[in-house]
This record gives sequence, structure tokens and C-alpha cells, in this order.
Amino acid sequence: MSKADDRVEKAGKRIGEVARSAEDVPRLFADLRAAFDRELATAHSTAEVESLRVRWLGRKAGLLNQVKNNWLLHAAAELKPQVGKQLNALREHVEHKVSHTLDAILARTEVSAEAVDLTLPGVAVRRGARHLITQTMEEICDIFRRLGFSAVEGPEIETAYYNFEALNMPAHHPARDMWDTLYLNLPGGAEPLLLRTHTSPMQIRVMEKQKPPVRVVVPGKVYRHDNPDASHSFMFHQIEGLAVDCGITFGHLKGVLDHFLREFFGPETRTRFVPSYFPFTEPSADVHGSCHVCRGAGCRVCKFTGWIELVGCGMVDPNVYGFVGYDARELSGFAFGMGVERFAMLKYGIDDIQLFFQNDVRFLTQFRR
Amino acid sequence: MKIVLDWLKEFVEISVAVDRLRPDLTMCGVTVETLSEVEGATLLDLDITANRPDLLGHYGVAREVSVLYDRPLQTINPAVREAAEAASAAARVDIEDLDLCHRYVAMVFRNLQIKAAPDRIRKRLEACGIASINNVVDVTNYVLLELGHPTHAFDLDTLAERRIIVRRARAGEKITTLDGVERTLKPHFLIIADAKRAVALAGVMGGADTEISFRTRNVLLESAWFDPPTTRRTAKELGLRTEASHRFERGMDPEMALVAARRCAELIVEVAGGEVLAGAIDVYPRRWQAPELILRRSEILRILGAPVPDAATERILRGLGFQVAASAPDTWRVSVPSWRRDVTREIDLIEELARHYGYDKFPAQLPATRAAVVRQPHAEKETDLRRALEALGYDEAISFSLVRPEEIRLFSRIEPIRLMNPLSEESSVLRTSGLASMAQTLARNLNRGERDLRFYEIGKAYGVEKGQHFERRVLTLGATGRVRSTSLHESTREFNFFDLKGAVEAALEPFELPPVRFEPLNDASAFDPVLSAGAWAGKDRFAVLGQLSKGVAAAFKLRQPVWLAEVDLETLYAQPLRGRRYQPLSRFPAVERDFSLLLEDGVSFGALRASIERLQIPEIIRIIPADRYRGAPVPAGHYSLLVRITFQSAEETLTDAQVNRFAERIVRALESELNARLRA
Repeated sequence: MSKADDRVEKAGKRIGEVARSAEDVPRLFADLRAAFDRELATAHSTAEVESLRVRWLGRKAGLLNQVKNNWLLHAAAELKPQVGKQLNALREHVEHKVSHTLDAILARTEVSAEAVDLTLPGVAVRRGARHLITQTMEEICDIFRRLGFSAVEGPEIETAYYNFEALNMPAHHPARDMWDTLYLNLPGGAEPLLLRTHTSPMQIRVMEKQKPPVRVVVPGKVYRHDNPDASHSFMFHQIEGLAVDCGITFGHLKGVLDHFLREFFGPETRTRFVPSYFPFTEPSADVHGSCHVCRGAGCRVCKFTGWIELVGCGMVDPNVYGFVGYDARELSGFAFGMGVERFAMLKYGIDDIQLFFQNDVRFLTQFRR
Repeated sequence: MKIVLDWLKEFVEISVAVDRLRPDLTMCGVTVETLSEVEGATLLDLDITANRPDLLGHYGVAREVSVLYDRPLQTINPAVREAAEAASAAARVDIEDLDLCHRYVAMVFRNLQIKAAPDRIRKRLEACGIASINNVVDVTNYVLLELGHPTHAFDLDTLAERRIIVRRARAGEKITTLDGVERTLKPHFLIIADAKRAVALAGVMGGADTEISFRTRNVLLESAWFDPPTTRRTAKELGLRTEASHRFERGMDPEMALVAARRCAELIVEVAGGEVLAGAIDVYPRRWQAPELILRRSEILRILGAPVPDAATERILRGLGFQVAASAPDTWRVSVPSWRRDVTREIDLIEELARHYGYDKFPAQLPATRAAVVRQPHAEKETDLRRALEALGYDEAISFSLVRPEEIRLFSRIEPIRLMNPLSEESSVLRTSGLASMAQTLARNLNRGERDLRFYEIGKAYGVEKGQHFERRVLTLGATGRVRSTSLHESTREFNFFDLKGAVEAALEPFELPPVRFEPLNDASAFDPVLSAGAWAGKDRFAVLGQLSKGVAAAFKLRQPVWLAEVDLETLYAQPLRGRRYQPLSRFPAVERDFSLLLEDGVSFGALRASIERLQIPEIIRIIPADRYRGAPVPAGHYSLLVRITFQSAEETLTDAQVNRFAERIVRALESELNARLRA
């Protein structure tokens, strides 16, 4: 090292060896201070300043510690106050300079504009995408929740009783053809079990358990003996709805579904109720919504009719109340059912139902929100 | 059901254009699927619901149109000139099972000339999708389409003893039907027999032996009423759905049987010459009685929510063929026509009114709510679970519950429930686990060129346990590839076991669970024997996780490492969500101490942490495995583990001396319990 070392070396010696009188003390400290300033002037990086800091301020072997041990502790009693004062001043100076220099270096080395390409993508944190079917079911159930409907779920393995009979379809009823059924091969079962063909069995299960007023929606998987193609799947999702109370009318059914469809497809949606047939509702209707693609002008989506069939519904058939011990003379109600895939396909322009179950990540992530 | 517009106009005047007729019919419940022009004829393709067999003919549809536009409906009055000879002398009809056949009309024809039917008949049949056969058969089909009532023509000379017996089939009895197939009959089938053998399946199809051929001269025409469920069962069990069975299984009009027979007679004589013998043989022991219903104005209002004017009520019901008489105030007595077997209750009358009055005339209203909305017990739990997994980058998959048996057996020893009538082997059993579907999902995406994948599925597993079928909610996870895609911002690495374990832990985090242990799987057939674990809470193993074994991966043609996990959600959902309560924050600094430990192989971090926790030092707030090292200079059979422990007191600033004392206790415990040594 340079000459500075001579002055610094003194720190390693006892005060008696380097100072003859009290007058020497300020000079000794001034030398050290000058040595420090000189060293500091050569420190240009944070690493260099850091090693300087350790050399001067280090807890054990730091120079200022040596000064304390060698000079302060060994100073004659009359010198001690002066040495102590000088030492503190020097320490303050060193600490201040070190931190000030570090700040200055940091300020100097802050990234330059050229080094930053603002067009680089941010560090991606990839959130998972909820399946569009789940999202659609949640959206539908949310709308109905605001109308006072609680969501309940039920079993997918069902008995013929709940799937057909209690819904007013005795054995050999031709309406059973409306639902091609998958039957289970379970040994020993007295009653043949099947995969529910619709969520309607939950109408019965809910009314069996609960006294009116009833207002529920039932989301869930259903199964049909249908060969897969772009518009058929042997498994899909339905949402069933049921409202039973005193004074529930066909007008209420219209009001609820009309409101729901406008919430789901947009406020400009118009609805029409077309007479239809379901064994467990009377009167029955199919709800058509005005085509949201062509606004009713006619296009491929609506098969040039301006209308799209969306929901099957009706007033609960009095025979159904007979199966659950409700009094059909006092109560009335409505039920409805809709296909979740169909709603999602219409809303998002999806043309193949099979896409929902292939779990292609390119499909799933399109609907991340 | 295809309707020829001009044919319809033979029964009712239609002054509106067909573009107007189409929506009008649809809006009263007779859905027009398509409208088309075939060889100059306008065709309406109708979708007739199962409750309306009366609309399976032009005449029934004409009745709806007549109500729609308030126009009169033509009556059917066939002009039949009968010969002197009595039909009853030429043939005999007996019904053995009166429950299954309420009426049997037979008409007998002589000296017919069987040939092709005239164009006007053939064209209409063809427009409606029925092939032309010969003039007599074509007439029966013409009347089927016109009046909706099926009839059948037998070659009279082929009927043994010229007898018709309506009876149940005898076990093992056989018949060759018109389609040339020999069919073995069952005793619950209703058949038409002659004196010797079965000659037709009642209401389904005739027999080949007695069919009309070009040599036929004399004909027996059947027009009957057969029991709907019996017809349906017969047709279904034989896989033989015909125009006739489609109608009989929905319920035909017994009063129409004679009208249809006479209409056939009128046309047969017209197109095949010959003569009709006098007096149809009409076996009709239980005459149909018109049911009488009460219709109350108050009930109309109660169900529909708005009144229907009395005049409209009466006009609509009368137009549809009901007889309506006012009885008590605001009440009508209504008798139901024979063709409307679907109308049996007041509510059915209300539907008739509503659909013809117009569903659009009942104003939409929102009902008042009288009960609070409740959520499913697990709804909040499932939402938390989804959020946790989506935050970790897992995309939600939904897969079929029906899978291939060999695939699911790779993952579970539970015997899957089979379908009785599967669509294909590929979807013939209910899955006993979501793991096979997940492996499929990963494989399919890898095949499509995606490399870094993470999926979760919340679905069900099905099976039989102790003779009882079950369906349980399961959470399935699948992952493969890199943890992040590479970028210039940072490097990446391959997904590993602890990423998977972390995801499982994240799924468990929302729940208040007893301490969870991760232990090796002993039955890890589908998983790698080392890189797999089961998660246990108390006595129950509720989750499995690990790398898919090489063998199973090969079965799915998976070449890169694939990670799967399955968590039983019933166990999870049985637990409450973790209670959240405020813990006071310490105002005093935390102190970290590193312990570099030399451990024997086999001493786990879990054992080490348990050993430390048993000391019950409340100031320990964190124990972290910071680094691990194997190899020189660590002696063989050992490894070195750097454990970082954080101490903090709620009451004071911990001194060096205090922390030193904790450290000594920890090291002593680890030395004595685990034979650990502190490295220099």
C-alpha cells in the first residue's frame, strides 16, 4: 500500500509509542482521517466501499477498533477524554462517508435507459383457468341466487323411480323415449339403477326432504345413451330449477326465466314461450331466446328463425306433488331445465360440444378470467 | 310428422300464407321444425310431442288450425257402397284379451285388383317418407297419414278358416314379419292369429304369410285399438319401431277405428275395384265413455296468473272437440273427446286453453321471495380449493365419468360399475378414480405439442363397497414439464415431487385437519415406488401423490415424467375450514440461528422437526430445512442438513445467552434422539 499505510500503521501501536504529548493527539487523528479520505477516494464500487467499511469499522479487526483498544484504553487518564472525543468524531466521519459514498455509487449505477427494454414481457405468473362449464354453471347459479334460488346437488346414480316414475312417467310410458338411458349393471340390486338422464330427479328429492316454499337450482352432470358428435355427448351438464309455493303462477315462470335470459345473454334478449310437453310439467313450454348473433334477423346459429331454443319448463304437474306428499290444491310451482354446454356454446361461439371434455389446454385457457 | 299443406287444406280453410302458418302453429304447441317444397308441394315437418298422438295425422293437425283461425273443420264421412254379402259371413273376429284390445273392426273386400296406386296417392305417401307398395297397402298408409289411425290389410284367402283371433302369443311361437325376419314371440306380446298361427304382431307389423300380393283378390282390413304399453314393449323388445307401433303406443282413438276403416274402404274400392261386403265386423264390447271434467275459472287464474275470457275458454275447448257446459257459477263441465286420451284432469284443460289463448298473453312477473337462500355445505370449501389451485397455475379439466375398464384398473383395485348398455368399450365403466382420465388429459395435450401442463379436476369416483354403490367427490391433480416456461428473466427447472406435494398442501391449507403425515405408499402400483406418497390424517389415507410409474406411463404412451395426485374430497369436506383468529404480533426482533447437522441416512427432516417440537420451546417460530448435502467430506451413510430456526419472543428481546440455551437444548435432543452431530 501507499504512504497512507504509515499513518494507519500507527493505529496498531500503543498510544505511548506514537504520541509524546497531548498536542500529538489531534495530529494523529487528522492523519487517520486523511488516510481514510484518501482510501475512500479510490473506492468506486459498492464492493470496494464495503471492504473499506470492514477495514475501518469491522467489529473485531477494524482500524477504529484497534484505535480504541490501543489508544483509548491505554491512554493516560488525563488524555482519555480528548482521545475519546477525537475517536468518536472520526468514527462519525467514517460512518457518514461510507454510507454517503455507497448511496452515491448506487445512485450512479442505477440502470441506464439503454439497458431497459420496456417492451420485454413482464415475468409471467400463470394463473390456472377455471373450466368454462364451471364458470357457466357458477354464472347461472349466481343469477338465480339473486332471485332467491339456493343451489343443491344430487346423486348421478339414480333409480328409475326418481328418474322417471315420480316424474310422472310410469314404466312403458312413451315419453321415456325422450331420454335414452344408460343402465348400470349392479349385482343383487332389487331396483335397476341408472345414470340420471336429467337433473329433474332432484325435484323429487328436494320436495321429499323439504316443506314448501321451495326455491332451488340443481347443477350437475347427466348422461344419455347418445353417440358422440359435435352436438351430442353421452355426458353433459344441466341446471334444473324448481319453485313451489302458494300462489306461484305461469306468469312467475315467465318472469323468472325472462329475467334470467336477459341477465345471461344481455339486456336486449327477448324471450318467447312456446307450448311443449314434459311429463312432469303441465302446462309445459320451451323458452326461445332471440338469437344473440343476428338479433332475430335470422342466421345459421338460429337456423334462420331468429329464435334459439334454450330452456324446457312448465308448471309442476299435480301428479308429481302426489309422489312427495304435497297438496296440489294449495300449492303450485314451476320447474325448468337447461343444458350448460349449450348455453356456453351459444354465448362463446363454440361449435363442438366435444371440446369441453378433451381438456385441450389451448381451449381451456381461452376462458381464463 | 310430415304434413302436405294441400292435404291439410282439404279439411280446413287456410287463408294465411305458409310463412305465417308456420309460427302460428309453433306458438300453439304444434312445432314446425322445417318448411320445404317437394315437387311443387309445400311440406311442413312437425315435431309432435309424445302426449299428442291425435296430431299424427293431417286431420288432427287440421283441427288445431281450425281453432287457430276459428274456421270450421270438415267432417269425415266416407262414402261406401256395400255389396249384398255380409262381412260377418265371410270372416270371423274374436278378441281373447279384451284388456289389450278394446276394439277390432274388420272389413272384407272381394275381387280386388292389386296394382300400383294412382299417382296422387303415391306422391303424397312419398312426400311424407313412406314407400309405395301396392294400391291396397298404399291406401292403408294414406289413411294412416290422413286420419292418424293405423290399419292393416290381410290377404283373406291366406287366413286359416278366415278367422281373426286377437290373443297373447304362446311361448316359443314364431312369426315371419313383413320385413322377412323370423321372430320368436313371448307370452306378453299381443298378436293377431288365424285359426292356426300368428299372422301379425298387433299394432306393430303384419306377417309375411298373409301380406297383400299381386295375386291377392280378397282382403280383410283391420282397424283396431291396441293397448299402448303392450304395443310399446313388443316393439321395443323386438327392436321393431313402425309407424303403427309409434301411434298405438301413444294411444289411438277407439272411435276412429271404424271411421278409418270406412275411409280405407272408400279409397280401396276407388283404386282397386271390387266390392265391400256389407257391415263391418265390429267387436267393441267395452264402448268408450267420454270422461267428464270440471273446469273452474279460479283454477285458471291460480295456475296461469291472469284470467282467460270465458268466451275464449269456450271457443277453444269446443273447437278442439270438447263439449263444454256451464254448471255452477264460474265452473264448466267439460267432456273429453275420444282422441284426447291425454286430457284427464282440470290442469290438462288449462294447458289447452293457455296454448291456444297464447302463452304470450300472460304477463311476466317476478315472484316474491319467502325464504332465505342457503349455500351447499361444501360450496365455500370448494371455492377456496379452486382458488388455491388456480393461483398455483392449475387449469381445470372436466373429463368423462365413463372410461375404459383396463385403464381404470391400472389405478384402482375397486371393481368398477359396468354399464348394461354401453355405447362403446371405451366408455363402458364408471371410473373408480380420476387418475386415468388425468393421465389421458396429459397425454392428449402432450401429443398436441404442449409440454408444460398442470391440471386439476373436481369430479366424482364411483364404485361398490360392501354391496352398496357409492359416488365420492375427488380432487385429481396432474402435472408435467417445467415449473415455468423459460425466459430471459429467470431460468427454470422440471416439475418435481415437491411441487406436487406443495400443490396438495395448498389444497389442504384451507382446512382444519388433524396433523397430516406423508408416508410411502405400499401399494403404489401406478406410482413410482420411491417418488410417491400417501397423505394420512389420523387413521385414514385420504390422498395419494407421486410420479406415474414407468409401466403405467408407457400404457398411456407418456414419455416424459408425469405427476399425479388424488385427494378424497369427502374426507376434506368433512372438515371445517380453518378458523381464522388474530394472533398478537410480537414487537421484539426475531433471531435466526443456523444448525449444520450431520445426520445418518434415514433420519428424516420430519423426525428432526418432531424432535425439536417436543421440546416445546414457544420462542421457536419457524424451522426450515435450508440446505442439504451428501458426499465428501460428509462420511458415507450420512448427510449434512442445514436447519434454520427462527426464535422470537412475544415478551422481550431475546439475548444471545437465551438463544444459546435454546440451541444447546435443541442440539442435545437431536444428539440423543437422532444421533445427530453438530458439524464444526
